[in-house]
Amino acid sequence: MLLKLAWRNVFRQRRRTILTLLTMTGGFFLSSLSIGWMDGSYSSIIMFFTNNRTGQIQVHHEGYLEDPSIYSTISDYQMVGAFLDSIPGVRVWAPRIYSGALLAVRSPGAGSGNVFSNSAAASVIGIDPAMEEAATDFSDRIVLGEMLTASAADTSYAATGQIILGKELSIILEASVGDSLVMLSQAADGSSADRMYVIRGIISTGNADIDRNTCYITLSDAQILFALQGKVHEIAVMTRSLGAVDVLTGDISTGLSGRDLETDSWKTFAVEFYNGMKADEAQLKVTIFIIVLVAAMGVLNTILMMVLERRREFGVMKAIGTRPGFIVRMIVLEANIMGIISVIAGSIISTAGLLFLSKHGLVMDPPLDYGGTVFREMIASITPECYWIPAVCVIITASTVSFLPALKAAHTKAAKTLRTV
Amino acid sequence: MTDNDVIVAEGIVKTYDDSGVPVHAVRGIDYTLEKGEFTAIIGPSGSGKTTFLNVLAGLDTLTEGKVWLSGKLISDMSGKELSDFRRDHIGFIFQAYNLFPVLTVEENVEYVMLLQGVPPIERHDRVMNILEKVGIAEYANRLPMQLSGGQQQRVAVARAMVSRPSLVIADEPTANLDSNTSGSLLDMMRRLNEDTGMTFLFSTHDEIVMRRARKIVVIRDGKIDGKPSSEEIQ
Ligand SMILES: Nc1ncnc2c1ncn2[C@@H]1O[C@H](COP(=O)(O)OP(=O)(O)O)[C@@H](O)[C@H]1O
Ligand SMILES: [Mg+2]
Repeated sequence: MLLKLAWRNVFRQRRRTILTLLTMTGGFFLSSLSIGWMDGSYSSIIMFFTNNRTGQIQVHHEGYLEDPSIYSTISDYQMVGAFLDSIPGVRVWAPRIYSGALLAVRSPGAGSGNVFSNSAAASVIGIDPAMEEAATDFSDRIVLGEMLTASAADTSYAATGQIILGKELSIILEASVGDSLVMLSQAADGSSADRMYVIRGIISTGNADIDRNTCYITLSDAQILFALQGKVHEIAVMTRSLGAVDVLTGDISTGLSGRDLETDSWKTFAVEFYNGMKADEAQLKVTIFIIVLVAAMGVLNTILMMVLERRREFGVMKAIGTRPGFIVRMIVLEANIMGIISVIAGSIISTAGLLFLSKHGLVMDPPLDYGGTVFREMIASITPECYWIPAVCVIITASTVSFLPALKAAHTKAAKTLRTV
Repeated sequence: MTDNDVIVAEGIVKTYDDSGVPVHAVRGIDYTLEKGEFTAIIGPSGSGKTTFLNVLAGLDTLTEGKVWLSGKLISDMSGKELSDFRRDHIGFIFQAYNLFPVLTVEENVEYVMLLQGVPPIERHDRVMNILEKVGIAEYANRLPMQLSGGQQQRVAVARAMVSRPSLVIADEPTANLDSNTSGSLLDMMRRLNEDTGMTFLFSTHDEIVMRRARKIVVIRDGKIDGKPSSEEIQ
């Protein structure tokens, strides 16, 4: 009876009900899309950022992140790597050496003499070509020339090494593929390190700051140059899914305990990036709150009008012995019927909207810039959150917003309302 | 007070005071209504008929005095007790019919029994039985909107009686009806009163209605006019 009454009451003022349904459905749709779009953006930005550079998890010698010293190394990195390979959630890992050096380009036509024209200080990253390629698709970002190769010649100190320059760095040095340069640095054993390199490629990572001061040599070259045989500074771990990162970080950390190593997730080593994401998430919450608030006002207005219009009816119900609780339940149920219809309608159109956004994405103008990495198009992802969060919002809104008017209706004074003037 | 008294009212006073200026609508009435009566309360507009019925039925609070309904002192009951008491002991018929517009005739009549928790089969039988009696059975599945005023008021009579209350109260039940319809509605109510022994108390200022009452009580300026307070006419 309660349900029958509520259901029919919902549809007696058709136009107003439709308006209310549109408001609630619209609120559902907008929140659902915002969530889907934000979720999609987050995971694609995070995956992009971490897959192209940092990995989702990194292993270092303890304290390296705070004080990245050349001496702070992972000494038995092959063993650590073997352990990582044994963990199912780990897709690949890549070892790296970090140091700094002065690069000086040999002037063309200088014959065999060492005449240098341009020079620049740069970060040197030693990478294992094959592993780095598997981890970060390194060669995809090479805009000129080729990827480094790990040939036997690398191991000979006298031989000329290979180097890849960041695009901006190559412009500063006025050097291009095929040119030679000299790298001057200091090795971990205190000896001076210097060696000739031929430029094999130019890379553009999308982050100009990085490309202005970074060059890449092979891991074995770096180990020789910096006297770090068998050692690395960092192991970047690529996981299979973003959702599992926190758990995996814990697992790896536990597995490597007792080795003076530390394991961190992107949330720690890319903390600024992570904070940027969190700020956006807060913004999303504010957005949803505003959507819910606007929708709630609309619904409140309808329910207040409805209660006012039906005062006489509530008076009759009270007169013939209906308890106040029955009237409260009836009105809250009416609001929730509208809520449920809106959730169903909203889910359908949101699915359509999310499917569209997950295929086409939205072009960002101006583009989003996260830690120097620029995103031009954002794609939505369809997650359970896109449905349950708006649904809970709609139902909670319908219940809260109808409760006070319902109480008011339930305490209608029968004698007063029934008086025919 | 005897078992035969449906209403006993003692020294009832109702003063409205919402606007700051006190309005003395009922100024001290003692009244007894016996089982099986079919009594009209008459009096000019503003004389206090509605107020009198409302306080007797526990729809409005008393300023002074006591009211017993079927032997129960209702003037002391809490809101919820009073609400349940009205549900089980009083049937209401209103001037403006006041059927629930979203419920069919059958559902309107069934409503109070639902509140009382009468089982479905019994509900259905009692609804159809009373609808037969008021001559509306063929319209059981219609909405109130689809009926004439007289037909709606017959449904209202059915709704008031179906829960088998001790008393049916009707405040100007014919005020919205033409004289023919008023006459036949009252004839029907009177017949139900005679057949079932149900007690009726209604207000009116309609000649047609007065003529069909078995007893008349005159109210003037919030007081019962003349002694004895009620006058036998038939
Ligand atoms: N809520 C109220 N506040 C103030 N005065 C009221 C109220 N209701 C009724 N009255 C006054 O009480 C008196 C009796 O009214 P009522 O009982 O409706 O008389 P009747 O039903 O005989 O026309 C009238 O003077 C009326 O104006
Ligand atoms: Mg009146």
